Amino acid sequence: MTPWHRARAMALGLRVRLLLAFALLGVTTTAVVASGSYFQARTVILQQAQDAAVASLTDQLSKVYPVASLPPTQEELDVLAQSLSDREVDTVVRYGELWSQRADAADIVTPELRQEVAGGRVAWQRVERYGTPVLLIGTQLRFERSDGTSVPSGVEVYSVRSLVTEQQSVDRLAGLAWVTGGLSLILAVLLALLAAQGVLRPVRELGRAARRLGEGDLSTRLTVRGVDELADVARTFNDTAGTLEHQVGELRRMEADARRFVADVSHELRTPLAAMTAVTDVLDEEADRLPGDAGQAARLVSQETQNLTQLVNDLIEVSRFDSGTARLALDDVDVAAAINATLRLRRWADRVQTDLPSGVIARLDPRRLDVIVANLVGNAFRHGTEPVSVRLRAEADWITIEVADQGPGLDPEVLPHVFDRFYKADTARTRSEGSGLGLAIAWENARLHRHAGQSGSLVAGNTPDCGAVFTLRLPRVAAETVDAGGVR
Amino acid sequence: MIRAGRRRTVSRRRAARMLLAGGLLLTVLTAGCGVRPSDVITGRAAVSGPSAGPGFYLISHGELTLVLRATKPSPGPSLPAATLALLAAGPTPSERSAGLSSEVPPDVAPATVTPSVDEPGITVTMSGAVLPLSTVAANQIICTVVFAVSGQGSAPVTLVGPDGTRPPWPCPLG
Repeated sequence: MTPWHRARAMALGLRVRLLLAFALLGVTTTAVVASGSYFQARTVILQQAQDAAVASLTDQLSKVYPVASLPPTQEELDVLAQSLSDREVDTVVRYGELWSQRADAADIVTPELRQEVAGGRVAWQRVERYGTPVLLIGTQLRFERSDGTSVPSGVEVYSVRSLVTEQQSVDRLAGLAWVTGGLSLILAVLLALLAAQGVLRPVRELGRAARRLGEGDLSTRLTVRGVDELADVARTFNDTAGTLEHQVGELRRMEADARRFVADVSHELRTPLAAMTAVTDVLDEEADRLPGDAGQAARLVSQETQNLTQLVNDLIEVSRFDSGTARLALDDVDVAAAINATLRLRRWADRVQTDLPSGVIARLDPRRLDVIVANLVGNAFRHGTEPVSVRLRAEADWITIEVADQGPGLDPEVLPHVFDRFYKADTARTRSEGSGLGLAIAWENARLHRHAGQSGSLVAGNTPDCGAVFTLRLPRVAAETVDAGGVR
Repeated sequence: MIRAGRRRTVSRRRAARMLLAGGLLLTVLTAGCGVRPSDVITGRAAVSGPSAGPGFYLISHGELTLVLRATKPSPGPSLPAATLALLAAGPTPSERSAGLSSEVPPDVAPATVTPSVDEPGITVTMSGAVLPLSTVAANQIICTVVFAVSGQGSAPVTLVGPDGTRPPWPCPLG
């Protein structure tokens, strides 16, 4: 996982997505509700202010009646305008071309308002004056007649009322709306974090448990909390892990049983075999003197008994590896001398080309080295073609022993199975001359030698000029500790 | 590749849509704030009330203009007739200086105002000639009579003089 990937995963992670969703939801809801109530409240505030202003103006105007004289003089207009004005309201009165004094208000009377007023109705309009909102109210003064109709007197009254107070109220509303929005956003984020925590913790625990299970800890279990889907997943995980643990345990038990059975059988066979060997030794000596078929049979029995003994010994050796009871008996060994001794003991010394530089001392188990070399050379004689060569090479920490023959080499299909137990390269041959365990034992013996965390190895391969080559690599100084059993 | 490309396009389109919605919301929130100017709102009929004195129509800048006098009308035969007498007398000097004038000749008074005989309306019988009266002068008389006579909002007025009768005519003012 690159840092970019991790950052991307964080950005698109469950927590961020939940956070965004909650924040968006909170902000949208608050915005809709707050703006809705804001607009409504504003309309109510303005309407009330306007209606009150209009009512107050018409109330005051109704006190002007009865009008005694027309047309009004400038003074009369001024007096009327003065009486209708106060701290908040500026009023101008117009009669034809005649305007009351303080006619600055006259400039902002819009043409459309004058048109509506000339139509004989009370009209008002919100306009902006010097950057502040004001309310313009205009009306005619009319004379009513007894039949309900009225005639215009020609006098028009325009009053200008500041809406600053209302604007302040409205602004306060807006401020409240913003504060509410901010608070709800914070609340939404907190809730989202809480929800993400609730969802993410079980998910993270599940991931950790799955990793532990994958690493081989089959006893991993999750704590099941609650009854939601995540709890279901945890329960399923626990069930799966339990089944897996049970089955793996069963398999291990069966394998151990099988191994113990082999070991027991081998041990049980050893005693009768010892007796048989003693008998066949006698038979062997007598075989030459026995007539015809009897002599041949005696030699055959003797030979097969030897093979069986070898097989049982090999089985016992293998079961020691399997049970992990194989131990190294380390000693300082002159490797070249040890190999020569092995060859000489089996009367192979003159059939094997050796390249063994003297003076290579290694600390290893001489018996196991003998087993390995004997197996490899014997195998080369059996399956390869002479000449068989043994080469020793020494490095600083490791020694390498190569056993090569000039035969057809190993089939690529065979190579991965060469060290399998009882593996037969040639299926046509029903009976091997060896026990079928030789190479497997050699491989286990090589692995038993360890140094600095690395174990020795035995590798099969082919030389470039046709012929099998087995390369044994052992540490120069093997450690006393051994690993438990060879696991393949 | 194509699928991934399409998905990217879709997500980009979705992001653009969300951005648009957010922008709209913000616009509404900021642009709609405060007290906005409005169109003209009309309410009930304009303020009206009674007049204290007799009213008659003079001419100001060529248009009929209602004039009220603070003085009580002289006690006489009837209010409309008295008002007509005031109209025939013409504007006072102060009214004249305010730009008011009259086209009604002084000889129309005295006059009598009676309901019409065979049709709805008002008949004004005057002492002076009615046929040579200008349209403006006739309108002055008609509107003054209509204003003075109660309950006759838009009734046609017939002017009768010693020289003949003008056809019935309503006051042109609403």
